[in-house]
Amino acid sequence: MKLFAWLIAAALILGVATPALVHAQPVPTAERPPGQGQGGDAPHAIVSKTHPHDDIVESRGKGMALLFWIFAAAAITGALFVVTRRNLIAAVMGMVGSFIAIAAVYMMLYAQFLAVIQMLVYAGAIMVLFVFVIMILNRPEDEPVAPTGRIGTAIGGLAILYMVGRLAMILVHVTLPNKAIALASPAPIMLPGWGSAGPEAVGWGTVKAVGADLFGPGLFPFEAISILLLVAVVGAIAIARPLHPDDGTDADPGTHP
Amino acid sequence: MSDPQTWSFMGLPALLWIPLLPLLGSAFNLIFGKRLPKSAVNLFAIGSVAAACVLSGVEVFGGLFFHAAKDAPPLWQTGGITQTAWTWMEAGSFKAELAFRLDTLSAVMIMIVTFVGTWIHIYSIGYMAHDKGYARYFGYLNLFTGSMLILVLAANLPVMFIGWEGVGLCSFLLIGFWYENDAYAYAGRKAFIVNRIGDFMFLLGMFLLYWAVKSLDFNDIKNMANVTVLKESVWGPHNAHVWADERLAAAAGICLFGGACGKSAQLPLFVWLPDAMAGPTPVSALIHAATMVTAGVYMVCRLSFIYSISTTAMIVISTVGLLTALVAAFIAFAQTDLKKVLAYSTVSQLGFMFVAAGTGNYTAAIFHLGTHAFFKACLFLGAGSIMHGMEHGGSTTPGDITTMGGLRKHMPLTRATFLISCLAISGIFPFAGFFSKDEILGGAWAVAGHGTPPGWPAFYGYILWGGLLIAALGTAFYMWRLYFLVFSGNERSDAARGAHESPWTMTIALGVLAVFATFIGFIGVPHLELLHGLPSAFHALANWLAPSIQHAWILDATHTVPIGGASGEASDTTTIVLMAVALGVGALGIAMAWALYGRGPSARVAKWVDGPLAGPYEASKHKLWFDEFYDATIVRPFKMLARGLFEIADRFIIDTVAVNGAAFIVSLCGRLARWVQNGQVQRYVAGLVVGAAAVFLVTDCHRHPAFSITRHGEQLQLHAEPGAGIVSANVKLHWHLDGATDCSAEKDKPGDPPDLTVRRGDVGGRVALCIDDAIARKMTVVTAEVPTEETP
Amino acid sequence: MNDLLFDVGYGHFLALAAVLFLIGVAGVLVRRNALIILMSVELMLNAANMTLLTFSRMWGDESALSAHTFALIVIGVAAAEACVGLAIVVAVFRGRRNVDVDKLTTLRH
Repeated sequence: MKLFAWLIAAALILGVATPALVHAQPVPTAERPPGQGQGGDAPHAIVSKTHPHDDIVESRGKGMALLFWIFAAAAITGALFVVTRRNLIAAVMGMVGSFIAIAAVYMMLYAQFLAVIQMLVYAGAIMVLFVFVIMILNRPEDEPVAPTGRIGTAIGGLAILYMVGRLAMILVHVTLPNKAIALASPAPIMLPGWGSAGPEAVGWGTVKAVGADLFGPGLFPFEAISILLLVAVVGAIAIARPLHPDDGTDADPGTHP
Repeated sequence: MSDPQTWSFMGLPALLWIPLLPLLGSAFNLIFGKRLPKSAVNLFAIGSVAAACVLSGVEVFGGLFFHAAKDAPPLWQTGGITQTAWTWMEAGSFKAELAFRLDTLSAVMIMIVTFVGTWIHIYSIGYMAHDKGYARYFGYLNLFTGSMLILVLAANLPVMFIGWEGVGLCSFLLIGFWYENDAYAYAGRKAFIVNRIGDFMFLLGMFLLYWAVKSLDFNDIKNMANVTVLKESVWGPHNAHVWADERLAAAAGICLFGGACGKSAQLPLFVWLPDAMAGPTPVSALIHAATMVTAGVYMVCRLSFIYSISTTAMIVISTVGLLTALVAAFIAFAQTDLKKVLAYSTVSQLGFMFVAAGTGNYTAAIFHLGTHAFFKACLFLGAGSIMHGMEHGGSTTPGDITTMGGLRKHMPLTRATFLISCLAISGIFPFAGFFSKDEILGGAWAVAGHGTPPGWPAFYGYILWGGLLIAALGTAFYMWRLYFLVFSGNERSDAARGAHESPWTMTIALGVLAVFATFIGFIGVPHLELLHGLPSAFHALANWLAPSIQHAWILDATHTVPIGGASGEASDTTTIVLMAVALGVGALGIAMAWALYGRGPSARVAKWVDGPLAGPYEASKHKLWFDEFYDATIVRPFKMLARGLFEIADRFIIDTVAVNGAAFIVSLCGRLARWVQNGQVQRYVAGLVVGAAAVFLVTDCHRHPAFSITRHGEQLQLHAEPGAGIVSANVKLHWHLDGATDCSAEKDKPGDPPDLTVRRGDVGGRVALCIDDAIARKMTVVTAEVPTEETP
Repeated sequence: MNDLLFDVGYGHFLALAAVLFLIGVAGVLVRRNALIILMSVELMLNAANMTLLTFSRMWGDESALSAHTFALIVIGVAAAEACVGLAIVVAVFRGRRNVDVDKLTTLRH
């Protein structure tokens, strides 16, 4: 357990530190990107002739790479914990660590708002829910590998390995649809009704920007998700409530309204 | 009188009605006969055969004597009447019609069949009076008569085969008539199986003829048989010098004769006939004496034009006939069953007929066939009468001659007719057998002398003649042994003492047949200078049969040698001497029999049998062990083969492998399919994942890098399509505008864009594209020609 | 190899998302405890989110920002689904006293 605690702590620290690292480093430019006139002093994308790999994130460099690998390792380790641990609480902890690392990765993608939401909702609420249920069930022990159905599992496992290999090979090189934009750090966006460009522009991925989108064009999904959550809550209560004596015989609990 | 060619009734040609009447009677009796009184059954059975007899008479004596035009010769001289009922089968170029032909040969046969048949039907009324299968018996008997008539009236081989098979079937049905007795049923089965072997040979002959002549009609075969065109078509032009017709005719003839061996009980297929005595005696009389067994002889005579081409076939036929005659006579010496002696006698006489046919003397063969029909039928019916009498006397083995004796006192009518028939079969003047047997012997002698067909060894005729003489001696001897043991001496059992004469329905048939057996010989009197003034009626048979039978050996298309020699008939002296010798031999046989058996069983013979003649006696008694031999060499291995095949093919392959195996595979597939759906969601997710991986695999397979060059004026557009799949986004492209295909220099250089526009002047004849896939670590080269024309 | 390690590009993010996704799938296949299976499903949803955000960053312009909204909705849906799923697990546990999915096979017939 201590190991987990240390890992989580390290992840938290690094996760917080990343944005600072990202925005603090000025980067030398070698080539002006075509078009893209606005934003003035925004750092430009680099297409270096010594590095044929040209889809790199703007905030690159060995430091960023190191951070990425650390967080990637943490995420994968956490995921593997979930999949392999016999102890349910250990699995939950692994999951939490993985979520934190994923939040850090979101930060590297300039999705600040989502990163925080991820931490709050996923690691903070959903995992807590899981812990509650584990406590209710009071059966933390479980056998990791099933004695039956191994053939199907093995075939599935082979398929998964194949896909891991192929996907990893494919996905490490992607063609950028809009190289100029993608290689630059995200430019501030102009939100309607917020005035003209300039100091009023809102950062990409900030709360303001996401909020404007959420309550603007994305209003319907927002309302719909709130209804969905309501339905989910009602349904959960209906399913999981204890049986009353006047509900009839025990039968299958899930069939009662 | 109208043209008999057009005679028809109810849409069917008149010739078809001749076999159809008995067949209808048969159908009626078999379907309804059980519930009807005997008189109705009799009416239909005998009425239909009698009607067929009358119709045959009308056709023969009316139809065949019709003159087509005022001065034209009567129909019997010009090929007879041919009527076609309908087309039976037609497949491609093969056509078989249900056609019937009434010429002089078939006229003789239908008269014999219907006439003798009618009298045997009448005899059966009395013989089968107490049998519970009365209607069935008459049904089968009529069916037989109908089939025999079809066989005889056939105008082509398939229709003849219908009749051939039909009589075989009826023989089986009638031999095994009392099927509750296992032995009788087995006898019927044996007859059918042995006949089948013959039928197979018949079919082979039919196929050979069809292959060569492309038709199975008798007229067609006859016309082709004389033509040399056949040689080239069958054996090829370089073999034209070979007498090709002869080989084909020999092969087909011998195959067809194989069929005749089965049907007419010749060596080696005669074993069924003695066993066939298990059937009712009238059946033996009709089928196994007068008609069915003569089908083979009829067939050989009908196909005389084939046999006259081939000396090989003729030699085969004569040899087989001679051997059969001798072997059967030998076996008959020691038999003690009345009907068995008569059966072997039949086999022997059939051998005579085949020797006649084999020497080209078809007329003699038919003559002997006719006379034999009468006296053998009379003998069999007489035997039936004797057995009937013995049964009434209380015998349980009515046919055993060792229990008979002295029946002349109890059954005078039967004795008289039996006596006449024995005289006839021994060849005593003036009874029928004398003339017919003499014809055969004369023919054999003639073949040896001046009438040798090409290819025969000259002395062979003498061998035939001598052998036949010995057989004739034997015939006389064993027939008279039979007569004396049955009728002479004293009664040897109570049954004999209690025997009495048969009812009039039986004796009248005996009488009629005996009359014919006495006088029928006179239609075949040989031509003698002495008898120059005799009316032609006495030579009627030879004249009558002349238009239907080949009378000359065919050497090739243009050369023939008349049978009987280039100089025509034999001289008078030879003929009379031969007649005298034949008569003498017959008389000698009778004398020997009388000497030994005149007063009943002979003590002298018994002594010989125990002493010096023990071996031959045993051989004769055991039928030369033919049945045992066949059983050991053919039947038993066949049974073992059948058993083995049953075990392997039926038990193992079909039951275990096919049936159980199919079930096993079905259940296996079910088990496999069931494995997929076991209710566990994880199994389903695994299926999903496997499917996704499969999709990955499939979509990644076909990546054909290519590029296109489009030309617009002086500009060339190069567009690279490195292939399908996402990986293509990660490859490095290098354009080689001079067409160089060496890509190794490009390995570490940065890539070119996939779309390029160049001026035409900068480009050579070919453009090459190097595709460097860093992930797959592969360098692919694709080349294309610069288009010479503007691309629209 | 060097550039794969030292120059981290968008592809790496996508590859990470793919790997996480497939680990989630493996978890669903292998484990028998219903809770672990639910957690693996959450993992898969996270991987999908990461892919979404990566592509939105690749496009980088203002219209791509709606991907963030979408990702937010996805998190909401994941929460609702986790809630209901856990309620079902609790209900099933009440009846059968264990949450082994290998034993929950009444859907077979």
